[in-house]
Amino acid sequence: FQQNRCNEYSPGNVLVSVNPPLLEISGSCPCVLPNKDTLVLCLDVGFSMSNSATGQEPPFQQAKKVIQKFVQRQVFAENKDELGLVLFGSDNTKNNLAKDDQYQNISVHRHLMIPNFELLEEIQNDVQPGSQQADWLDALVVCMDLLQNETLGKKYERLNIVMLTDLNTPSSPDQLDIIIGNLKRAGITLQFFLPFPVDGGGSNPPHGGKALSREQQQGLEMTKKVMMSLDEEDVTGVCNPDLSVFKRVEKRPMAWPCTLTIGSSLSIKIVGYKAVCEERPRKSWSVVDAQTHQKDDIKRDVVYCLNDDEETEVQKDDTIQGYRYGSDIVPFSKVDQDQMKYKTDGKSFAVLGFTKQSMINRHQFVGTQVLKVFAPKDDEHAGVALSGLIRALDDLKMVAVVRYVYARNGNPQVGAAFPCIKEKYECLVYVQLPFMEDLRQYSFPSLENNKKYTPSEDQLSAVDSLIDSMMLVEEDGEKKDLFKVNHIPNPQYQRLFQCLHHRAVNPSVPLPPMDPWLTTALQRPLAVATRCQAPLETLKKKFPLKEVVKKKELKTSKELFGNSCLGTGRSTSLAELFGNG
Amino acid sequence: MAEWNAYYQNEDEYVDRDEFEVDYKCAGRDSLVFLVDASKEMFIRGEDGEPSPFDMTMQCVHSVYTSKIISSDKDLVALVFYGTEQSKNPRNTFEHVYVYHDLDSPGARRVKDVDGLRGENGAQVADETMGSGKTNLVEALWCCSNLYSDVKLRLSYKRLMIFTCRDTPHRGDCERDRQARTKAGDLKETGVVIDLMHLMKPGGFDVSLFFCDVVSPPEDESELGLQMEPCGKLEDLRKRVRAKEMKKRSMASLRLNLCLGEGMNVAVGVYITVRQTKKPNAVKLYRDNNEPVHTKTRLYHTQTGSLLLPSDTKRAQVYAGRQIVMEKDEVDVIKKFSDPGLELIGFKPMERLKLHHHLRSALFIYPEEETVTGSACVFTALLRRCSERNVFALCKYTQIRNSSPRFLALVPQREELDEGQAQIEAPGFHGIFLPYADDIRNLDAPQLPTASDAQVDKMKEIVHKLSFKYRSDAFENPVLQQHYRYLEALALDPMAPEHIEEHIEDHTVPKVKMIDQCLGSLAQEFKDLLSHCRYTATNIVTSWPCVCSAEEAGGAEKKPKVEMSEDELRARVQKGTLQFGVKVTGTKKRELIDTLKAQLAK
Repeated sequence: FQQNRCNEYSPGNVLVSVNPPLLEISGSCPCVLPNKDTLVLCLDVGFSMSNSATGQEPPFQQAKKVIQKFVQRQVFAENKDELGLVLFGSDNTKNNLAKDDQYQNISVHRHLMIPNFELLEEIQNDVQPGSQQADWLDALVVCMDLLQNETLGKKYERLNIVMLTDLNTPSSPDQLDIIIGNLKRAGITLQFFLPFPVDGGGSNPPHGGKALSREQQQGLEMTKKVMMSLDEEDVTGVCNPDLSVFKRVEKRPMAWPCTLTIGSSLSIKIVGYKAVCEERPRKSWSVVDAQTHQKDDIKRDVVYCLNDDEETEVQKDDTIQGYRYGSDIVPFSKVDQDQMKYKTDGKSFAVLGFTKQSMINRHQFVGTQVLKVFAPKDDEHAGVALSGLIRALDDLKMVAVVRYVYARNGNPQVGAAFPCIKEKYECLVYVQLPFMEDLRQYSFPSLENNKKYTPSEDQLSAVDSLIDSMMLVEEDGEKKDLFKVNHIPNPQYQRLFQCLHHRAVNPSVPLPPMDPWLTTALQRPLAVATRCQAPLETLKKKFPLKEVVKKKELKTSKELFGNSCLGTGRSTSLAELFGNG
Repeated sequence: MAEWNAYYQNEDEYVDRDEFEVDYKCAGRDSLVFLVDASKEMFIRGEDGEPSPFDMTMQCVHSVYTSKIISSDKDLVALVFYGTEQSKNPRNTFEHVYVYHDLDSPGARRVKDVDGLRGENGAQVADETMGSGKTNLVEALWCCSNLYSDVKLRLSYKRLMIFTCRDTPHRGDCERDRQARTKAGDLKETGVVIDLMHLMKPGGFDVSLFFCDVVSPPEDESELGLQMEPCGKLEDLRKRVRAKEMKKRSMASLRLNLCLGEGMNVAVGVYITVRQTKKPNAVKLYRDNNEPVHTKTRLYHTQTGSLLLPSDTKRAQVYAGRQIVMEKDEVDVIKKFSDPGLELIGFKPMERLKLHHHLRSALFIYPEEETVTGSACVFTALLRRCSERNVFALCKYTQIRNSSPRFLALVPQREELDEGQAQIEAPGFHGIFLPYADDIRNLDAPQLPTASDAQVDKMKEIVHKLSFKYRSDAFENPVLQQHYRYLEALALDPMAPEHIEEHIEDHTVPKVKMIDQCLGSLAQEFKDLLSHCRYTATNIVTSWPCVCSAEEAGGAEKKPKVEMSEDELRARVQKGTLQFGVKVTGTKKRELIDTLKAQLAK
């Protein structure tokens, strides 16, 4: 299940896609709409799952990890998705369909519920490999039955079954078509996680592993049939996903309806959405008492003190507000404050003018977000008008410079609206630009015009070989990017959730080391690291680097100016430097 | 108790701490002395009504004062005149030197003082208070050097700017010149950087006569130290002063290693060239004396009332109904991935850098030859080849201890100079922050019809009409400007804030009237095209019969605007004069129409 190859790290993993892409729902009434998923994890605990080639982790352990990671993500995502767990090949039998010798060794371990730490603990401690075997198709039927019974009368966005098995049990294909029909009718999506790669076809021996058994080959054929007849997309579900990734905490995009104006006579209705923005966890740490772990046992108290030697305390009521104006502090009443505040009329997305895209420096973008601006969903008129603007800008390689105000009395911004034309949609991409006060135009000594630093041809070609060996985008055929930052989950939160999970389940144990996959995901891809070895060695030889031993830090001004009247300074003739005239 | 405060200040783990701010504080204060010539020549107005050199200088000083207040109000600034009749300096030991403002952070009073020295009135004020007299630069420089030494604070950066339009201040008195050079040498020895802001004078300003030996040498042999051309325009002077005054402050930067591979560490400095200047927070004052107060935060135990030490607390979060508790140290250490630094991952073609991958302001990376010798050379080679091959370097960036990694696209930026050899773009890499998967939101784009070529073309006309040359320093922040305008007024006259109705010029507000005028009928025409396409597709044909047929003849299907009445066109078509009797050289619509118009005009 878990063939993590660092350089092929692909977070486009399947369980993430189980969740539907977020639909456009206005943020005002989230409770009315069903935005819940339901999922049954169906885990093979049969005895063959404990077998493995030497040195490899048994499929059971791999599958268990996958499940743990998935449940973890669900717990920390804190959504309302419900989850069930069905084990098959278990020593006991516990399901609605079990009768006589039917549906034996299949156990519904957990009914549909919002996952919690208790479930995580159960998986950690109670879910163990069994000594029996059960038909995976039978288990599938039990899962379908579970979904059907327990979602009656409730509204769900999607029903999913996730099957984790090595397919190593004989199963009877005679019911297959009926099962497929039922899955379709109920709108259930199905995914498989198998402990071997599924490319080419089941008959080829998988890389590095043992050849598939006859049962496995037969099972794989059936799996493919099921997946093919359900939905093409889900065929990709049969692969090795990287499930260590915590589900990202998705936020519903907040619509920002506004009007794009060009002068007084042209206005186009628009809706803006945050498209890129630094995502932060929803929760922050609170301070608790070390003994009782109670938040309420701690009270925070802020006191105001004069800047005198005694730090005399004064009452809050005896303080007023002021602002610094350079060396002055200007006392400021509430009235002053209201009066002096810059006032804006309200939302605005007003075009100030148009300019060449080349006039806008990417490195001068400011702000902490990027907006995508569309026409409202059902407004064809606005759609065509906006499309006219987008296409005109795109053809002319220009941008609109706009005044952006988020809401009444919000601070105005000046920003650039770039045209963006994709296969499926067109939009404006808005980024904030700096104000004059935001710029720090430092100048730096020239590098290339300095003989001391000019690299030789030899050195340049060493740099060239390094670049060649470290290209992350492979040019041949389909351009493959070996390191897509926008596919890496924010490691800070991955690590945080890993530690939170660990601490929640094992309160008195030190924190675990970093997940190896996470460390690998942040490193130079293995292929590149290997490739660049030799060029790096050459580079080291061509460019000698030497650390400078620091002299004593700068003398203080007092030392320097102690005897300011002494005139012993040598007078340097700069005439030479300036060419003697 | 001070540590207490520091301890609880950053309670919210995820609030963006301004990590660079810390460095600014440790670095000490920057100081700048304006040494301004007050001789008669400085008050002579230029031809074509240009302000006098003195006036221009005061305008510059004024704008430096106000911008310091907004962006770095801790910096110290002084204003000293030389060549005055009157003398005024701390110990009154120097003649013909007038210290107008000693080294201190600028405030409202100073801004007003300088304001009073501007324009015609200002010249009169200057004449009355200081007058013009003999010039002794030795004394002036000596006086300035005392200003620096009188400051009790630690100074990180000391700069002296000489404003003059006279290239021979001592009129050929060699002894004086020699002494002045020596004095300037002393100042430079103590770390003061001396710049010359020389102003236009009839017959040209010859730097080599005297001043070339006074000013500081360029920081390295290649830097273009002294600009040979004197400033004739206020804008130029302002730019020159700004560029010098904004001189990079390596103290404020972060020194890191750029690790190309194991054992290959290049020393670099990380700078911020763009950063949002925000309205400062209010300070609390004691009502009785308007003196600032400071706050102390303390933690008490609710039950016992006893003061709690940091070690008496832990941190907690609740998930799925379970409280998870960690030590404060653990919370910090969780964020640690690697030591501070930049780690090269690899290279990518520039087109892989997406425009919309923007999270926060970019950084600027420049080598630190002083830390690791050889750094500048590798850096230059890397910069050059990345630029020539149009690739960027992808790096993992850990800013400080216990900060989690971010990825940067290092985009090469080679040095660019303007005609006057002044640097427009500094050499180095821009570090663009790249988003993680979590930072990118899934949006559901609406499916809507797209515009027709005719509509797009009409919009292009609109875009052309309203196009302008954008400059990143063209827009002032109206919120800040208004804030400081009011503060300045209140600081000078606390009783009369109501009088401040002087409105700031807000360039962020669109000039609607002007836009409407520029567009003329274009807006309506665009709207017509919109409604045509939607409701009455046939209208287009009926309302533009002639043009349509003419267009068909030209092989285009767009509807141009032809400045000719419909009837006339129709008549000409009927008469056959609209046939193309001319050679059509281009196939572009524009060219066709031009040809058509030219033909019709005959």
